[in-house]
Amino acid sequence: MSDAVLDLPSTREEAWRWADLGGLAAAAALAPVAEPTHEFLDLPGARLLFVDGVLDEGRSRLCNVRLTTLEGDDHALGRRAAGTGWSLRLDAQGVADPVQIVHVATGGENHLASEIVLADDAVAEVVETFVGAGWQNCFTRTRLGKGARLMRSVRLLQPAGFVSLREAAEIGEAASLVAVFLGAGGQGSRIDAQLVMAGEGAFVEYGGTLLTSAEQKQECAVRVNHAQPNGASRQVWRAVASDRSQVSLAAAVDVARHAQKTDGEQSLRGLLLHRTATVNLKPELEIFADDVKCAHGATVGELDNRALFYMQSRGIPKARAQAILTRAFVADALERIGDETVRAAFEADADAWLDAALQ
Amino acid sequence: MLKIENLHAEIDGKTILKGLNLSVNAGEVHAIMGPNGAGKSTLGYVLGGRPGYEVTEGSITFDGQDLLELEPHQRAAAGVFLGFQYPVEIPGVSNVQFLREALNAQRGGRGEKPLSGGEFLKLAREEAKKLDMDAEMLKRPVNVGFSGGEKKRNEMVQMGVIDPKFAILDETDSGLDIDALRIVGDGINRIMRKPDKAVLLITHYQRLLDYVKPDFVHVLADGRITRSGGAELAHQLEREGYAEVAA
Repeated sequence: MSDAVLDLPSTREEAWRWADLGGLAAAAALAPVAEPTHEFLDLPGARLLFVDGVLDEGRSRLCNVRLTTLEGDDHALGRRAAGTGWSLRLDAQGVADPVQIVHVATGGENHLASEIVLADDAVAEVVETFVGAGWQNCFTRTRLGKGARLMRSVRLLQPAGFVSLREAAEIGEAASLVAVFLGAGGQGSRIDAQLVMAGEGAFVEYGGTLLTSAEQKQECAVRVNHAQPNGASRQVWRAVASDRSQVSLAAAVDVARHAQKTDGEQSLRGLLLHRTATVNLKPELEIFADDVKCAHGATVGELDNRALFYMQSRGIPKARAQAILTRAFVADALERIGDETVRAAFEADADAWLDAALQ
Repeated sequence: MLKIENLHAEIDGKTILKGLNLSVNAGEVHAIMGPNGAGKSTLGYVLGGRPGYEVTEGSITFDGQDLLELEPHQRAAAGVFLGFQYPVEIPGVSNVQFLREALNAQRGGRGEKPLSGGEFLKLAREEAKKLDMDAEMLKRPVNVGFSGGEKKRNEMVQMGVIDPKFAILDETDSGLDIDALRIVGDGINRIMRKPDKAVLLITHYQRLLDYVKPDFVHVLADGRITRSGGAELAHQLEREGYAEVAA
């Protein structure tokens, strides 16, 4: 077992109760694989290829991204990512072409830090893809200045192994962070995020869809801290679990005493494709202000049998009807991806997963 | 076209159909009337192949093939259309996507070429117009937020696009106001009143039969057909009630 795994928290701690800590060690111990091929999406801008956490300069073009020494944070996952990582910094009103990052792992464990720092009114888009095997651990620190806007799309497509993402973001006044995650590989995962609404009127949409099969376990643990008034946060997560797999979604909103007029929404929904699968949902609200609107919904269920029969009676075969209904179920978690090319790629990944799971 | 013999069917171990016999030939419209709980909707669901409706005895033959051997989507491809009493809402799936998937799956099942997006849209828009449904509604999720009457009209749009050989229409008249009843009735006549097609209308009331004249009327009571006659039987039922006539 890797030494690094040993100092992770215990599942007795509430924030880690559903974490698959054994999965991290097991992923790191998997036999190495040949480097899988992966294509970048057809977008302008920077393209970074990391192989086992190290930039492959020959196959990358950095544009306005640079490599630098970065710190971790005090989190068990973020801490170990300290070291050389990538950095995207934009000056005020800067606009960057989309930044694509592909993380390829051939086995073992790798840890990588990154930062996205946007000055006032800067606009950026970052697309990350994880493929390969082993345990990949990334820490991303995001700082958005006044009015800055960041769109992040992250997809986990490793056939096996584990991806852990530690995210720490500070969203400034009237800034906007939209992040969409798709877990459509066979790997285990933990998306562990701490988002601070640091300026008045900050906006965050943070969510995605986690799809699991076989014995797989994926989870997110996201905490949004409304530290200033007039902020809005939306957490929309969709889980689809088949076989004996497990998805856990924990989404928390903290509203500080003076963060009046906060508008927080959590929509956590799980769909079980088999009765042996598990979806854990934990919406959590801690509100100290008295003039806020915080909506939260959490439901787990199966596909609607009436809808299935209705579709079949119109000529749609059962497996196809299941795929259409499941696709509709996850659609609202992916539709926030603004870039059409990116959205189409993510939808195609989700479709491929659904087609395989529903065979 | 359709031959049902000695049909027994149960749901959750409770026997609902108890030896039902019915023959429907091409070119005919049959109406099935009967009191609540007689098994009318069960008959529709058994013909459609809804899971949970178990046939324990008897047979259903459609165009010479054993209908009970076919999966629900294969029955549709064979030409059977089930109009639902309560059409189902499907959030996140547009009418256009739903209907195009359905039509092309059926065409595929019959070895025909799928319709392109453009061809399909033209067909769907024409059908919606004929049934006085706003074409914008085709873009909306299937039946979500539709009124009762709009849902029934949507069923007819689907029937028009799919163009089935045999339609079972389960209380298609419920929830319709007088104008909508006429539009839906005209739709049934236009789409289905043809020498090579047939209709089974399941209804409580005479009123739809004023628009769609049945060739045969059957009374279904306690799981079997207790009386059959021509269109005049429906009027008699309306006047005298099921208790009198069915006994």
